[in-house]
Amino acid sequence: MAAFSRGRQRIKAFRTIIFTRPFTARKFDYDLVVIGGGSGGLACSKEAAQLGHRVAVLDYVEPSLKGTKWGLGGTCVNVGCIPKKLMHQAALLGTAVKDARKYGWQIPESLSHDWPTMADAVQNHVRSINWGHRVQLQDKKVKYLNMNGSLVDKHTIRAVNAKGKEMTLTTKNIVLATGGRPKYPTHVPGAMEFGITSDDVFWLRESPKKTLVVGASYVALECAGFLTGLGLDTTVMVRSIALRGFDQQMAGLVTDYMEAYGTKFSWRCAPKSVEKLPSGLLQVTWMDLKTKEEHKDSFNSVLWAVGRAPETKTLNLEKVGVEINKETGKIIVAADEATSVPNIFAIGDISEGRPELTPTAIKAGKLLARRLVGHSDELMNYENVATTVFTPLEYSCVGLSEEEAEKRHGKDQIEVYHAFYKPLEFTVAERDATQCYIKVICLREGEQRVLGLHFTGPNAGEVTQGFSLGFQCGLTYGHLRNTVGIHPTCAEELTKLNITKRSSLDATVTGC
Amino acid sequence: MILMYLTYTWGNHFNYCIRRGVGFLLMEILSSLARLRASFLTLERSLSSSRRLISRSMASESVTRYDFLVIGGGSGGLASARRAAELGATAAVIESHKLGGTCVNVGCVPKKVMWNTSTHAEYIHDHEDYGFEGAKAHFSWQLIKRKRDAYVSRLNQIYLSNLDKAKIESIHGYARFTDDPEPTVEVNGKKYTGTHILISTGGHPSTVSEDDVPGASLGITSDGFFELESCPKRSVIVGAGYIAVEMAGILSTLGSKTSIIIRQGGVLRNFDALISSNCTKELQNHGIDLRKNTQVKSVQKTDMGLTVTLVTKDPEVKDAQEKLDTIHEVDCLLWAIGREPKTAGLNLSQIGVKLDERGHIVVDEFQNTTRPGIYAVGDVCGKALLTPVAIAAGRKLAHRLFEGKADSKIDYNNIPTVVFSHPPIGTVGLTEDEAIKTWGKDNVKVYTTSFTPMYYAITTRKSKCIMKLVCAGKDEKVVGLHMQGFGCDEMLQGFAVAVNMGATKADFDRTIAIHPTSSEELVTLR
Repeated sequence: MAAFSRGRQRIKAFRTIIFTRPFTARKFDYDLVVIGGGSGGLACSKEAAQLGHRVAVLDYVEPSLKGTKWGLGGTCVNVGCIPKKLMHQAALLGTAVKDARKYGWQIPESLSHDWPTMADAVQNHVRSINWGHRVQLQDKKVKYLNMNGSLVDKHTIRAVNAKGKEMTLTTKNIVLATGGRPKYPTHVPGAMEFGITSDDVFWLRESPKKTLVVGASYVALECAGFLTGLGLDTTVMVRSIALRGFDQQMAGLVTDYMEAYGTKFSWRCAPKSVEKLPSGLLQVTWMDLKTKEEHKDSFNSVLWAVGRAPETKTLNLEKVGVEINKETGKIIVAADEATSVPNIFAIGDISEGRPELTPTAIKAGKLLARRLVGHSDELMNYENVATTVFTPLEYSCVGLSEEEAEKRHGKDQIEVYHAFYKPLEFTVAERDATQCYIKVICLREGEQRVLGLHFTGPNAGEVTQGFSLGFQCGLTYGHLRNTVGIHPTCAEELTKLNITKRSSLDATVTGC
Repeated sequence: MILMYLTYTWGNHFNYCIRRGVGFLLMEILSSLARLRASFLTLERSLSSSRRLISRSMASESVTRYDFLVIGGGSGGLASARRAAELGATAAVIESHKLGGTCVNVGCVPKKVMWNTSTHAEYIHDHEDYGFEGAKAHFSWQLIKRKRDAYVSRLNQIYLSNLDKAKIESIHGYARFTDDPEPTVEVNGKKYTGTHILISTGGHPSTVSEDDVPGASLGITSDGFFELESCPKRSVIVGAGYIAVEMAGILSTLGSKTSIIIRQGGVLRNFDALISSNCTKELQNHGIDLRKNTQVKSVQKTDMGLTVTLVTKDPEVKDAQEKLDTIHEVDCLLWAIGREPKTAGLNLSQIGVKLDERGHIVVDEFQNTTRPGIYAVGDVCGKALLTPVAIAAGRKLAHRLFEGKADSKIDYNNIPTVVFSHPPIGTVGLTEDEAIKTWGKDNVKVYTTSFTPMYYAITTRKSKCIMKLVCAGKDEKVVGLHMQGFGCDEMLQGFAVAVNMGATKADFDRTIAIHPTSSEELVTLR
């Protein structure tokens, strides 16, 4: 509150200054107003301000159904990448304890995990980032308004704060970057009343204990993965397939590993209802789609991870004529991120057909700012974006899935090099490495240009970044083979690939 | 040989035609040709195997002959022999010790097992911060030693069976070149020769003579480290190279009070200056007692362990006094002052294989020694002492000798290297100083960053990650990449591929980050 009133004083001060300027110098209050202070919005507003534009950013978090709310920085910082990876890391440390015993460390069997300790640490870190973003905006002279913005016309924005106070801003350009929020299955009775989503799980004060995770997207699998790793009884309920859109062989490896790791899977099942029992437990009824039988079990928590919806309700898009895709609800954008209204742009999860990833939003935001300022005309390249799924066995990839490569080029026109490798850290720890796998899909012709690169194993994200750079530069199979390996690492296996799927030879790596 | 070469090129040519889609007819011709080629190969092979049985009468001794005779069953020798065998050559490997060489027995593999062991010590420190209660650990060196040895034995066994599977003869014993006119080696009284002979005997840790440092032999080397049966309480590591850094890190993390004795002001002095200074700092942050400008003067054995006497002299200060100091109750004095080629006993001078002043075998870019028909790969050549380099060189050589690929050789540029320090170091390409020397100061631009990896966001123990890109020329081609931090070991490989491809700073910039990782910092450097 104190911060807010200070902010308000600053608005007044700012207005006084601009009103004293000659009218011709400023037709609008701002050159740019960004609605949404997530990864994309912040990057865009900071870049534009740094290049000399007058910029305001509006950020307002509508609390989740469970009442969870958070600070500046959007999904990634508050309810996405950052807390997710930290909790994933906590879970990995749980696995590390088991490994450590095999490495000669004598650790009492009674080791337990305390959720509040971890949650406090994670939440404190998130708050420090929230604060960091505030400071950065100030440093870069971006006006920050903790207000909900909606469009009045193509140059005017109405802003409302939590107490209902209103103000109006006029601006030359508008960038919409309000992102998305998890969906609830509205057709399942009790789902909204008793369930939580990824908006809540990182902010829980107490352990969610026995948890049912519904969905098989990467969000679902990541959450289920770290909950399992922290020692919780965790079940994933999957209607059809896991990691839709990803290479399905890789998806299978990821879920196989999770099953071996202790995550339970209810395949081809769909929830029917959630009821609260007198004990406080949640009783979930579901249908097995194969047998058509109904089942019941009780859980402490039910986490819905059934997809995300763009946050467009309060923007008043229709009034101003910003077109959306009726099916997805996302804003239709051109290559330069422009919407159907030329001075209104959209970046990040809210825009149609874009990857829902922080780095793409950041980069798109920066490039957009540079174009708006007239500093450059470079467009965002959405091709060849590498991504990592932080499941217990991490999975990272860049380029096409094998299915997509077959579809685009034909099965006979691609060569798939693959290897089942054993990370050295697994050997002494006596861990099963069945799912540690590398697959590089190449064109069969000529130089064997790499079409897709897939890696499951420890540190998958760290391993893949450099290869995605190579991919960006036109990576071929020869480039991989002509690079000297780094021994002993997992990453070196990518330079040693020599077995093709076509050959049907055993792809298990032996020796050094 | 010529026959094989021709059949190979034919095959290749027709494969090419098929790929171009020339048609069925050609396919027919090709398959018959392939059959023909196969029979040529069989002929060639049977010729060679029969050759093996030919014993020449020479001072009433029989000589066993192979297409490819490899002296030294380490990474380079084994890889070369196996590739040669795959290409149809008869091959034999002579090894006096265990198969696998330095890497498997007293190098990369057991070293990384110990490094992994020590990273667990670091994790255990962080457990409480991540919500795990009761993570009090006691460490059993004996247990990990036993498991490590078992793993190494398993690898030895795998190497042996790989040789068997490839029908490669394995000969146990020391090889010595005889004075026969044709290069011939003797092992346990039996003579062997090869159309091509490869020397891949590797190296061993350097030691200090008793004359230079009285009591020096009371110390061990990295070889001895792997024989330690318990965790030393008090360790003194002498040296500033990567082995010294790795050993000091492992011992210290596993609970040994560790000193590292370096002759000059920093460790890893042939690395980029940023890495050298950062690693020196990290060792100290880690609680390692680092003695700069210091050498060991003498070592005495007492009832309470070794007493190591040190002499320190600051070269910066003119007429500085030598300061003496002693470290008592040392139970592990480890010399890590370099490595030497293993050529003793081979009798190389006899056959005209030239050595350089440090005893390394002199080879050209194709691994040819000064004696035709004799080649050398790996540490014995003294260049880029790394397992994958030896493997690559060995395989390239096999392709040149047995597949007729005349230009098959390895490129020594941009070889990526990781040092398993705490935290690990990754480096590829030129250091900043080297780049300036090559390109001129005005043509070199450097980007650096330093950050705390997210892993440490919620831990009390912190460690920074530093990164440096060295770019050259107008287009800012990335000619060097250097980093130290959590995860840098696994980050480097892909970047090495890209650097090899000639990636520019602009290519780095247009690569989308993977979030949240540390490696993304390399593509978002400003």
